[in-house]
Amino acid sequence: MLKVNQLDKTYGKDKHSLKAVSFTAQPGEVTAIIGPSGAGKTTILRSVNQLIRDDGGQILLDDQDIRQANKAELRKIRHHIGMIFQNYNLISPLTALENVLHGRLGGKSTLAGMFGLYSNAEKTEALALLDEVGLKDYAYQRCDQLSGGQQQRVGIARALMQHPKMILCDEPIASLDPKSTQIVMDILRKLAQEKQLIILINLHQIDVAMTYADHIIGINSGAIVFEGPTTEVDDQVLQRIYRQDTEIKTMVTADEN
Amino acid sequence: MQRRLRLSFVLGLLILIYMVSVILVNFQTFSSLAQVPAGLIWLFKNFIPNEHTASYLGPILYQLWRTLIISISSTICAALLSLIFAVLGAKTTSPNRGFQLTVRFGASLLRNIPVVAWAMILLFSFKQSDFTGFLALFFMTLGYLTRAFTETIEDLDGEKLQALQAVGANYFQCVFCGVLPEVASSLTSWVLYMIENNLRDATLVGILTGTGIGFLFNHYFKGFRYDAAGLIVLLIAVLVILLELTSTQIRRAIA
Repeated sequence: MLKVNQLDKTYGKDKHSLKAVSFTAQPGEVTAIIGPSGAGKTTILRSVNQLIRDDGGQILLDDQDIRQANKAELRKIRHHIGMIFQNYNLISPLTALENVLHGRLGGKSTLAGMFGLYSNAEKTEALALLDEVGLKDYAYQRCDQLSGGQQQRVGIARALMQHPKMILCDEPIASLDPKSTQIVMDILRKLAQEKQLIILINLHQIDVAMTYADHIIGINSGAIVFEGPTTEVDDQVLQRIYRQDTEIKTMVTADEN
Repeated sequence: MQRRLRLSFVLGLLILIYMVSVILVNFQTFSSLAQVPAGLIWLFKNFIPNEHTASYLGPILYQLWRTLIISISSTICAALLSLIFAVLGAKTTSPNRGFQLTVRFGASLLRNIPVVAWAMILLFSFKQSDFTGFLALFFMTLGYLTRAFTETIEDLDGEKLQALQAVGANYFQCVFCGVLPEVASSLTSWVLYMIENNLRDATLVGILTGTGIGFLFNHYFKGFRYDAAGLIVLLIAVLVILLELTSTQIRRAIA
C-alpha cells in the first residue's frame, strides 16, 4: 500500500505547489489523480519516487518511508517502482528488447549495467513481457520506428521488468489516439488486477479516469479536494476539482465580449 | 515599393563605397581584369603535371599516406578525450558546476587558438617532427570536438535520463545505457567531419613543421618544380573528395 502523508512542496518563494497532500493507493486498484493543469499532479507523482525532492511529509510504500532513504536505498526502492511517461522516454536508437532490459539496471552492479551484461533468464523474461504487451514481433526493432502506442507498451514492459510493486504513470495517454489509449489503459487495469500492483496515474481526460479508475484523487491548486471511489464522483465533485478552470474560462469569455 | 526603394539604396551605397576605395588605393579595375586571363594561363602551363611529374609520384603518395594517418589518429585520440570532457561538462550529465565551467573555458581556449599558432608554439618544444603536427591538430580538435559533443549531449531530452534514474540506474549506467546510445550517431558524424577538416589543415601544418605532404609541397614549390607541386594539390583534392564520399556513406549507414 502507498500512503502519502502531509506532503509539501514549494517552488521558489511562497509559491506553493503542494499543500499538505495526503492520500492512499491500494494494490490491485487503479488510482487516478485528476485536476486542472498546473494543479500539481506531476509534482505528486514525481515526488513518490523522488525524481522531484519535496520539502516535507511522509511517503510510505509498504511502511517504508521513501523520503528517509539514502542514495543506495533509494536506488533499491526505485528498482521496484516502474514509471511510464507521456513522451515514453525510451532510448530511441536502441531496440525494444534493449529498452525492456533497462528495467533490470537498478538491480545490477555498476559495470554489468554499463556494458549491458544480461543473463539469458533476463533476456527470456524480457521477450515474454514484450509478448505480454503484444509486441513479440517488434523485439528487435529500433524504438524510434515504433508508433506512439507501441512505444508506450515498450515502456510498460520496461516497468514490468523491474518486478514492480507499483507503476507510476505520468499522463501516459496524452499523446495517444483513442485506439491506443484503450489498449494501454486495458493493459494497466489488467496488471493492477492480476499482479496486485498499485497503479497511480495522472490523467487529463475525465472520461478515461471514470472508465478505468477504481479510486479518484481530485486536486486543485496543490491541495486535495476529493478522495474516494470512482462511483462517488458526480458533477458537483468534478466542479469542485476543476473550479479554477471554469473561473478562468468565464473570465476569458468576459474579456472577449 | 518601399522594399524596392531600400534595396536600390543599399545597392547604390555599395557602389559608392567601391568607387571611394578604388580611388583611395589607386586600383585600376579594367587593367587588373585584363591581367586575369594571362595569369590563369601561366598557372595552368606551370602547375599542370607533365610527363616528367610521374617520377615524383612515389614520395608524394608516401607523404600523403603519412599525412592521412596523422589526421585520422589525432582526430580519434582527441575524440576519445573530448567525449569524457563533454560528459563531465554538459549541463545534463555534469557532476557539478565546477566541471561545467572548466570544460567550457578549456575547450574555448583550445579552439580559439588557430591551428597555425599551435604548430608554431609547439615547434619550440617538439622540434620539426610528425609528432608536432600531430599535437597541433590534436589540441585544436580537442577544443572543437569537446564543444560539439557538449552541445550534442545538452540537446538530449533530460526526461529520457530521468526515466533511467526512475528505474534505479546510477550515474554511470545512465551515461552508458542512455546518453551514449542516443548521441552515438551524431558524434560519429562530428568525428568524420573533423577528419576531413584535419586532412586539409594538416597540409598547412606540414609546411610549418617540415613534415608530411605540406613540407613536400613547400619543398617542390620553392625549388621551382611547379608541376610536382600541382600534382600534390590535385592529389590532396582527390583524397579529400574520397574521404567526403566515404564519410557520407558511413553517415547514411548509421543514421
